[in-house]
Amino acid sequence: MTSKTSSPRKGGASRSSAADTSDAIPLRYGDDPYVWACWLYYEDGMTQGEIADAMGVSRATVNSYLAEAREKGIVNISLEPARLASLTIAQELKRHFGLADCLVVPSDDNARPLIDRLGVAGARALQKLVKSGDTLAVSWGRTVMSVGEHADVHALQDTTVVQATGGTTAAFSYTPELCAASIARAISARCVGITAPAIVKSPELRQMLLDEPLLQEQFATLAQANRILFGISSLRPNSTIHTSGFFESVSLQHYLAAGAVGVVAGRFIDERGRPVAGSLDDRTVGISLDMLRRIGTRIAVAGGFDKVPALLAALRGGYVNVLITDAATGHGILRADGVTDLDTRISQRPKLAQTPSSYRTHVKKFLNNPNEVVEEMLDGVVRAHRDYIEPINGSHRALVAKSGPRPGKVGLVIGGGTGHEPCFLGYVGKGLADAVAVGNIFSSPPPDPIVQCAVAASGGEGVLFVYGNYAGDVMNFEMAAEIAEEKGIKVRTVLTTDDIASSPIEDREGRRGVAGNFFIFKIAGAACDRGLSLDACEAVTRKANLRTYTVGVALEPCSMPQTRRHNFEIGPDDMEIGMGIHGEPGVTRERIKPADDITDAIMDNIFKEMKATAGDRVAVLINSFGATPLMELYILYRRVAQRLAAKNIVIEANWIGHYCTSLDMVGASISILHLDQELTDLLHHPCETAFLRIN
Amino acid sequence: MQTFSNANAGAIVLSLAERIIENRAYLSEIDGKIGDGDHGVNMAKGFGLAADRLKGKEITLSEALDTLGTVLMTEIGGSMGPLYGVMFTEFAEKLDGVPAIDAATYSRMLHAGLEGIQSIGSAKVGDKTLIDTLVPAVDAFDGATASGKPFDEALDALVAAAEAGRDSTLNLVARVGRASRLGERSLGVLDAGATSCAIILKELSLGARARLA
Repeated sequence: MTSKTSSPRKGGASRSSAADTSDAIPLRYGDDPYVWACWLYYEDGMTQGEIADAMGVSRATVNSYLAEAREKGIVNISLEPARLASLTIAQELKRHFGLADCLVVPSDDNARPLIDRLGVAGARALQKLVKSGDTLAVSWGRTVMSVGEHADVHALQDTTVVQATGGTTAAFSYTPELCAASIARAISARCVGITAPAIVKSPELRQMLLDEPLLQEQFATLAQANRILFGISSLRPNSTIHTSGFFESVSLQHYLAAGAVGVVAGRFIDERGRPVAGSLDDRTVGISLDMLRRIGTRIAVAGGFDKVPALLAALRGGYVNVLITDAATGHGILRADGVTDLDTRISQRPKLAQTPSSYRTHVKKFLNNPNEVVEEMLDGVVRAHRDYIEPINGSHRALVAKSGPRPGKVGLVIGGGTGHEPCFLGYVGKGLADAVAVGNIFSSPPPDPIVQCAVAASGGEGVLFVYGNYAGDVMNFEMAAEIAEEKGIKVRTVLTTDDIASSPIEDREGRRGVAGNFFIFKIAGAACDRGLSLDACEAVTRKANLRTYTVGVALEPCSMPQTRRHNFEIGPDDMEIGMGIHGEPGVTRERIKPADDITDAIMDNIFKEMKATAGDRVAVLINSFGATPLMELYILYRRVAQRLAAKNIVIEANWIGHYCTSLDMVGASISILHLDQELTDLLHHPCETAFLRIN
Repeated sequence: MQTFSNANAGAIVLSLAERIIENRAYLSEIDGKIGDGDHGVNMAKGFGLAADRLKGKEITLSEALDTLGTVLMTEIGGSMGPLYGVMFTEFAEKLDGVPAIDAATYSRMLHAGLEGIQSIGSAKVGDKTLIDTLVPAVDAFDGATASGKPFDEALDALVAAAEAGRDSTLNLVARVGRASRLGERSLGVLDAGATSCAIILKELSLGARARLA
């Protein structure tokens, strides 16, 4: 490090003159650095970095000046009461209904009609939520039209707007066609229509229309929609729905009698949000409620007191996850759903304990919504590896190998929490695992997806479960095994226990499964692919597990996406030998040593258990925990190879890289599989997966 | 002798779900200090799924608890899914077929839940887990009934002990689960599982108390 970082940055003239006086506080601030920092920040609009230069202090100090100034009352940030109320209601709606986002326009501003104000708010939501490459489905209505009139989103590429329903009479000015066209214009998107009437005369006619190639193409676009914008219609007597001509009044009466309270994208729902069946269902050409609910971002724009029951129904039914409404309507919805103490509850909100501000408390990560990391990753995985895996029944939490399972073959099901990629999903494919169940970060999947995997993997000869020995995984996989057995699928389980540092040899069965999974899965997959019996597959997998030895070393902790903080600490000069892949304790925590010394400590531990003699063959895996680069892994491999060579043990095969990670942990593990003839044959058996291909 | 009717008391489970969903952000926030930060989200998801299945149905408390337990057990994953799943299915089993639930039945229910959890988890009192809420709550309930207090006062004692148990985790160092890796750093923070357990026991007991006759 040079002194470069500590010298003042060369900025504009005003800043360098400020730097000249950095050793003294300008007179007008008295001797209060807090006031000075606040003035530069709030009045002069300087960044914290610029203020640090101007005051001659570190950015961390500026940051703490600004934070403390708020606590000391030097700076008061106040919000206009009406705005505050609408923010409060938005926050409460978001919390109460578990929405992804909520925007509530203040009710006091009666200068403009509600429909305009909702249009402006909807336009703001589009600006924030619609991204390049999106397909946005658009339903119809006055409010939706208003959004189109107010939106003007620039700089998006490759967006598509698709009509959510067929067309209607042009007797009103907010038809599905006009709404879609208006939104498409506003966000510069390609516009795809649904070129059929929204409601046709008979179910037969609807089916004929849906068989038309043009409509199939248009519905295919609709099926790709990742966001939808829609209004919500009330069925109150004064609602425009009665006069819009969209529905025939005869049918409307039927739906009302059956308990319908609202309409979402041309479909009727009751007060609990359940679909209400009726004669129009089979005659409607447009998005179904199920399709709608599968769309990721579902933006409803609606307001007005008469819409409270319909909006509440739509929220309860889960059709909405981004709500745009006004304060009076929002308040009404909350009241109608039993939130009566809104005002008191907000004022009693527990104040979060102030944590002392320090320069860096969070780890940087590529994130959108921290609660969606697993879903977003799986979306990427499924797109990236479609040659090898596909979702079972549309779920990304249960993935099956393409051309993996086949009649007469034992099925291999693996799985576990996420955060270990490419474990476990990278090892699914022909010749290896047939299916994988995917949990949350460092957290076992529940039984349901595991059962789905068992069913998908089953070829009539039984299914083998192979997974790491952790309490959560054991509970969930055991339940799944019971359910699968009830379905007539024979299940055998092998728990991987290769982490020799996790427990002494006397408690070998209590050990954890770590990166050595890679070898054990490989052997199990090959045995299954060769058509061995369930007994034989289980036996050879157990043998592979017993002959796989892993020890890991952590240099730095990992950090969880939800918190972006380290999930434990390792001292600045320390390392931990034997650490597990979720940060479980190892054997020793000691001062960090040269790479060869660390490798020797690991290999000594492995040699203590592995009874290999001169001429024996092994496979070696040098695995990064996430943040350790290949450069260092090769340094470890070099020493491993030296130690093995000195004992005349032959390395039959080696793998070096990211094979079983622990998010962004710095560290590595060494796994050795002690081969015999059978294991050697199975190790070389061909396989085709995203992260392992052997021809 | 005070009892409450099993029939139609399924609504208690709905309000239980409401409390958990309300506290989604709070539970995730305290979990985030020493855990993964996903406790609230996972709990709200499980309880919300169960509530969806129960809404609009007039069912017994035991049926509703069974639905909740089954959903948590089969659809949530991790360790919390099975742990709470087994607790609620054990609760349900002990209430099944009992038309009027008295203090003795309620006690059997609590013990069955606790034993279910202890049969699959290894935590003990003082390890900074939900056990620190559950064990003193059950003890307080039994203590109150043993000293001749009526059902409603025993329920009050249970709620007070559950909350005290939850607060005791503030000054404990985590010994099992993921937070155990933080050692001393886990001091001064409530355990998220102990907190959700206090919410559950309180809402269940208040629901029972309001129905006593």
